[in-house]
Amino acid sequence: MRNIILGPLLRLVPVGLIALSIQRVVFAAHPIGDIKLQFVLALVVAAGAGGGSDRGAVAGFVLGLLYDASGNTPLGLMALSYGLAGMTAGYVHSFTPDPQWWLASIFAFFGAAVGETAIPVAEVITGEDGWITTEIWVTVLVVAGFSAVMCPLLMPVGRWMMGVKRKKWKAMLE
Amino acid sequence: MFSGLSRRRVLLLVVLTCVLLITLDKSGNPVIGRVRSVFARVVQPIDTAVEAVALPIERAWNGIANYDDLERENEALWDQIQHMKGNDVEARSAVLEYRELLKLNQLTSKFQYDTVAAQVVGDSPSNFQNTVEISVGSSQGVGVGMPVTDGAGLIGRITKVFPDRSIVLLLTDPQFSVPAQVLSTPGVDPPTGSTQPTQSTTLSGIPESDLTSSTTSSTSTTTTLPLPPELTPIESSTSSTQVASGSSTSVVVGTTTTIVEVVRETGLLEGQGNDKPMLLRFVDTTSSVTNVKVGAIVDTAGGNSGLAPQGIPIGIITKVQKQLGSSSALVEVTPNASLKRLNFVAVVLFQPNPSAIGK
Repeated sequence: MRNIILGPLLRLVPVGLIALSIQRVVFAAHPIGDIKLQFVLALVVAAGAGGGSDRGAVAGFVLGLLYDASGNTPLGLMALSYGLAGMTAGYVHSFTPDPQWWLASIFAFFGAAVGETAIPVAEVITGEDGWITTEIWVTVLVVAGFSAVMCPLLMPVGRWMMGVKRKKWKAMLE
Repeated sequence: MFSGLSRRRVLLLVVLTCVLLITLDKSGNPVIGRVRSVFARVVQPIDTAVEAVALPIERAWNGIANYDDLERENEALWDQIQHMKGNDVEARSAVLEYRELLKLNQLTSKFQYDTVAAQVVGDSPSNFQNTVEISVGSSQGVGVGMPVTDGAGLIGRITKVFPDRSIVLLLTDPQFSVPAQVLSTPGVDPPTGSTQPTQSTTLSGIPESDLTSSTTSSTSTTTTLPLPPELTPIESSTSSTQVASGSSTSVVVGTTTTIVEVVRETGLLEGQGNDKPMLLRFVDTTSSVTNVKVGAIVDTAGGNSGLAPQGIPIGIITKVQKQLGSSSALVEVTPNASLKRLNFVAVVLFQPNPSAIGK
């Protein structure tokens, strides 16, 4: 338990703050056809794809909390959604311990889709309905696509902030 | 790192913590409010640093990609300024006349409230929140629930306040709702130009198109212009009649020289998310079918349960569609303010009734 709190937090929080600022200053101000690309979500799914579903869930929780604290959403709502996103992306490790970039990108796509869809669903549960329309699928697809593209670039950052070292494989000597 | 806890336990811990935090925040826990305040201070310098890096790149890109568009837009804006200069003189005299009438009748208007000027410093980072961040906060007297306007009308209300920053929930967010009124004159179609969503009104709620008409009544003229909302309850001279039915009040004010018939419909205006127009739900559902027309002006209704003082312009009706199997109509309102291009705004220091701030 102590490891969970002290280990990755020292890296997660500063990296998360910078990612959040990039989201607020760059991506929030430059939407693509009214859709705001989600840099923090891309980082969360990259951390999940690089470190597994438990680490992805923790990364999503912490970065989501930072997101909530800076915005207008109830504290814990984005943490829950991003936690689910990180967890989903991390399931790639159920297939292979060291996923190739394209496999990680596919899982990052699904993870981001789950995370972005979970936001309006969680808002409905907390009594803030009105966002679940047929148009959210476009938003979800664009955001998930962006996360998939960014995944290979952000995976090393995600691994580093979660304290995961990439496995090195050696041929067995006879 | 997670050797001590199984995967399921980590996930369960995350979910339960989130649910607990949401519950605490929804119940208005003051500790969470303080945490947000501290966090806003922590994030601000990082935002400034990121902006310092991003701004030159953004400007360089805009210089390359958008130069022609900016030039065209600049020329169009100059034309618009020349056109508006003419209207401005008449608008000023109309506003002065309006204030004189209010004073004469001992009525109040939103002009009695002070405002705090602010600049929009950030948009919502999420796709599921229509909010903006402005550069004033509790240290400037801003409080939760206060209405925010720009030159064209209401843009939203304050939902969160930090010492030097505030978050404004925009009109179009599904969480936004405000009591609104429509003033119309039965039998008189609104100006055709008013069907354009970009038509603006003055802060007094008087449409620019109306300002070109004569508002000075003389012994020989009869005007059918809608009165400003504060003037509707005027008890007039012997020839006046007043018909009230439910929430829809039909006031016929007559003097020996001027006959003005104004129908005031009240309802609740709600946002629908993204760039969709707002939806107006009337208290009296039949009124939306009978009296309300496309092009009519919608402004805040005020009142004890109102979130804003009466008479702040909101927008114009762009669609009235009768619904099958229902006595009410679907009334869509397009805001006057251009919510995508907000820069300078004003917070009206009007503290709404705490019970009204709920939604």
